[in-house]
Amino acid sequence: MLSFVFRRLAVAIPTLLILVILSFVLMYSAPGGPFNSERPLPPEVLANIEAKYGLDQPFWKQIVNYVIGVVTQFDFGPSFQYKDRSVNDVIAQGFPVTLTYGFWSFVVAVSVGVSLGVAAAIKQNTWLDYLAVGVSIGAQVLPNFVMAPILLLVFTLWLGWLPGGGWEGGQWNYLIMPVIALSTSYMASIARITRSSMLEVLNTNFIRTARAKGLPMRRVIWRHAMKPAILPVLSYLGPAFVGMITGSVIIDVFFSTGGIGQFFVNSAFNRDYSVIMGITILVGALTILFNLLVDILYAWIDPKIRY
Amino acid sequence: MTLKTKLLATTSAFLIASTGALYADGHATHPETGETLASDQTFTYRVGDESPSIDPGLVEDTDGADVVRDLFEGLYNQDAEGNLVPGVALSHEASDDGLVYTFTLRDNAKWSNGDPVTAGDFVYAWQRAASPELASPYSWYVELMSIENGAAVIAGDIDPSELGVTAVDDTTLEVRLSQPLPYFAQMVTHGTTFPVHQATVEEYGSDWVLPENMVSNGAYVLTEFVPQEKLVRERNPMYWDNENTILDTVTKLVVLDENVALTRYLAGEMDRTIVPAGQFPRLSEEFPDQAVSVPRACSYYYMFNLRDAAPEELQNADVRKALSLAVDRDIIVENVLAGGQEPAYTFTHWATAGFETPDIPMASMTQADRNAMAQELLAGAGYGPDNPLSIDLVYNTNESHKAVAIAISQMWKQTLGVETTLANQEWQTFLEARGNGDFDVARGGWCADYNEASTFLDLMQSESGYNDSKYVNAEVDGLLAEAKTSDNPQANYDRVEEFIAQDTPIIPIYHYASVYMYAETLEGWPYENFEQNWYSKDLYRIAE
Amino acid sequence: MLPNKAAVEGVGDAMQLAEVKGRSLWADARTRFFRNKAAVASLVMLALVAGFALFGGTIAQYENDFVDFSLIGSNAYLGVPSVDTGHYFGTDSNGRDLFARTVQGTGISLMVGVVGALVAVIVGTLYGAAAGYYGGRIDGIMMRTVDVLMSIPFMFVLILMLVIFGRSIFMLFLGIGLISWLDMARIARGQTLTIKNKEFVEVAVATGVHPIKIILRHIVPNLLGIVIVYATLLVPNMIIFESFISFLGLGVQEPATSLGALINEGSRTMQFGYHWQIAFPLFFFVVTIFAFFFVGDGLRDALDPKDR
Repeated sequence: MLSFVFRRLAVAIPTLLILVILSFVLMYSAPGGPFNSERPLPPEVLANIEAKYGLDQPFWKQIVNYVIGVVTQFDFGPSFQYKDRSVNDVIAQGFPVTLTYGFWSFVVAVSVGVSLGVAAAIKQNTWLDYLAVGVSIGAQVLPNFVMAPILLLVFTLWLGWLPGGGWEGGQWNYLIMPVIALSTSYMASIARITRSSMLEVLNTNFIRTARAKGLPMRRVIWRHAMKPAILPVLSYLGPAFVGMITGSVIIDVFFSTGGIGQFFVNSAFNRDYSVIMGITILVGALTILFNLLVDILYAWIDPKIRY
Repeated sequence: MTLKTKLLATTSAFLIASTGALYADGHATHPETGETLASDQTFTYRVGDESPSIDPGLVEDTDGADVVRDLFEGLYNQDAEGNLVPGVALSHEASDDGLVYTFTLRDNAKWSNGDPVTAGDFVYAWQRAASPELASPYSWYVELMSIENGAAVIAGDIDPSELGVTAVDDTTLEVRLSQPLPYFAQMVTHGTTFPVHQATVEEYGSDWVLPENMVSNGAYVLTEFVPQEKLVRERNPMYWDNENTILDTVTKLVVLDENVALTRYLAGEMDRTIVPAGQFPRLSEEFPDQAVSVPRACSYYYMFNLRDAAPEELQNADVRKALSLAVDRDIIVENVLAGGQEPAYTFTHWATAGFETPDIPMASMTQADRNAMAQELLAGAGYGPDNPLSIDLVYNTNESHKAVAIAISQMWKQTLGVETTLANQEWQTFLEARGNGDFDVARGGWCADYNEASTFLDLMQSESGYNDSKYVNAEVDGLLAEAKTSDNPQANYDRVEEFIAQDTPIIPIYHYASVYMYAETLEGWPYENFEQNWYSKDLYRIAE
Repeated sequence: MLPNKAAVEGVGDAMQLAEVKGRSLWADARTRFFRNKAAVASLVMLALVAGFALFGGTIAQYENDFVDFSLIGSNAYLGVPSVDTGHYFGTDSNGRDLFARTVQGTGISLMVGVVGALVAVIVGTLYGAAAGYYGGRIDGIMMRTVDVLMSIPFMFVLILMLVIFGRSIFMLFLGIGLISWLDMARIARGQTLTIKNKEFVEVAVATGVHPIKIILRHIVPNLLGIVIVYATLLVPNMIIFESFISFLGLGVQEPATSLGALINEGSRTMQFGYHWQIAFPLFFFVVTIFAFFFVGDGLRDALDPKDR
């Protein structure tokens, strides 16, 4: 197992490198540039700016310089758009925010989603099942760009219970609406995957045997059914967790949380190459890390799995 | 409810502690108007995005400039009508040939750390703004000001110290120009010309703008800055006119979505926010004292592609004119946007200083007559039901651009039978397509750089870098060149506008208005300032 | 060297037998599916929604791009749903008939949802099953490719596709398809890892069955349960995702629309009291999602090889 982990971590480096090169090529082939604007800058001004940010270098050299900067000094360069800040600053400010509400959303989505799914599977075709299914579809059909303004209208404008946005260092009252808006659709997906996979496991022979032996239901579920049933949920959770802590642009837009999701989208529109690269590498590293974690959990739950 | 009160309580407690409670007693009155002032002198406003920079040398957007005007003070400020009033400079003298300006600075201006603000600070700031080392996207402003050697410094040919600005002594600043510029004094109200504190900049590098490092000379100092969330500035006790400053705390909130911002405004979380397109009539009915629309120095237009490679049908001026006639501007401004915008038949904004809107025949016709004329012109050009015209219309992704494009494409279809293919593009793709002439008709918007008609009309110059239509007309070029040196250029501007109406390289659609909600208790807003330059130090809150 | 008659007949018999057996397997699934009332009702609902999308246009009183200038923008409050005016669902804030637009948008969204889910099911499942089955280095390379594709700034892929291929509905589907299969591949691969250790796979391997056949015959059928559930989850996600990429300027362009775009527009105006602008598109969206869910559930039960 340990050698597997080391191997995977070693592979992560070339994987990230490929990601960097691919993203560079993509970025540079997209029309426009970081310093294009409706009023084109005079050529000498543009030349100064390009020299300052190293954009006058040949393409391959920019990549090499970038990689060297990242590897040797952990320096992701200056932001092209936000001239007072570096990419490190942008990530240092936005990532903890996203991580905080992403983590809580994950906790809510997993705990509620898995419980709903298991409950629905055990009590298949009872009111509990229908309720769970109804709740999860309901959560699914309200896209978060619809839910966010509704939450704002209700809790901020009408009831006046919660502040309508901002972060303020992550105080709980600023967290509630982002977490609700972000977690619901994930919660719904988790509930449905859990339910179906639990149903499948409950139909297998060994569970039937266990139940036939007269073991109490709770024990059957926790001791025998939970482990195999959770496997497909786990493969969903790897990308989902990364999605929650990175892909939350809607949350940032509606609740002004200042997280990384909106930097990612804005920097693409602004062609802020260095911020895009910084966040891409962050997302890539997290994706690799969580998929590795999921694989480790897999092997732990099902010892027969060999990689 | 409890949460909000708690929040307010903490804020005001903080205020009292930090400002000496000058106006916090609730019984103070405004020194000039005598209005009773609110005990809570705070102002919170919304912006749509984080500014690229709040460094005076680098600032490039209007939101950033608003912040810079509070944190720093240049030679001159503007009053509520946009007239010059003393800032750090008390007065200036221009030489007879108009090439040398000598500013006399006040001796009581101080930096927030207590250092005096001297002429040397301006020299340093201006050299810095022009230097290739800082590589400011706004360095061209120094060139625009015609400062001696400005262009050469920017190009890196000579050292920034050669820039035509010198400190004669601590309170005398001399500026040498390469050509006379009648409106030079107006230009020093812009953030690029504001002083920066040399020792701080040199010590911290680009980190000097962080709240813990920044030393500034404006009426406010930066106390909190969380990018993409908020920026807080508080009264600067070192400011020379601090005793006449009423607002204690000014907070800029970044809220990307206009509708969310409006919800939060209505929930009392902020004092100023933009009115979403089409919502002004409803809001001004419901909140007559809060919804305000004032002219904004920008024009909205559609441009035709006149390059040789562009579709042949658009090379016919009659076709273009027909399309322009068929646009019912009244519907656009009254129904689609409904925010006090004005229908445009000229490119120059109607409220531009010293500009008299010429009589364009189209402007005085009824829409029915215009439609009839359009149908006639188009039929004359050989397009009709059996040979329908079809065109592509490109606009950048935005809700209100979309609404305008939908309405206009239907006007063309319903009046002229023209088939329009709509295409929205993300901003950079759009700019590239427009710059490369990869369009039939494209959306354009232009905001005045300064308050004079040539800021608009220069776009029609054949060689202008902003002339994306590629409209070439030697007569127009001649008229515009002549206007530069003319004492009364109005006649030339009239002629250029007539050419625009006749040749129709662009379709002027409407003149912008700036439509905002302002809290009822907020006073002193400079609605009359056409450039919308506002200073927090001139604002105050009255008691409810 | 002609094969003897008996042998030919024998082969024929065998083929017939196989055919009969095959038909009965599917017939079996069909019977079980039709026994599931919720699934059948949902299938009917889906058919109705599809019928609405296909033929709704014939009863619409307006073209989907026709603007009624008296109901535009600030007058949008006049565009209430009414049978008298012919605007059955009212008008949108641009003064266009919401009924015609909902008809057209439902059509696009159904296609987007189905195509996205199909691509995910076919590409994602096969890719994931192959990676999981072969394991080792092949699995490593295939899954690291997925990691890279998941992390790549997707917006640039979209912008580039727009620049290279221009705007078309095909682009929309390509964009949707490209993104949709990645998660599915991970899930399928994860499940394959456990399935391939099961006895029946080991038996197949031991008897020398070709790996591709093992994947198709033994692995994929056992993945179907989770695959179908995930595919029904994908349908709403794809429909919403489409509104996002349309917003970027790719995909559906005005005056064409989609349910996602209509809901998005409706959510912007609902606080001003134009509830119908979100209510009607959302209704069709919800009905579609519910129907897909129960159909998916029914299919899962019907096709489950263990559930005999």
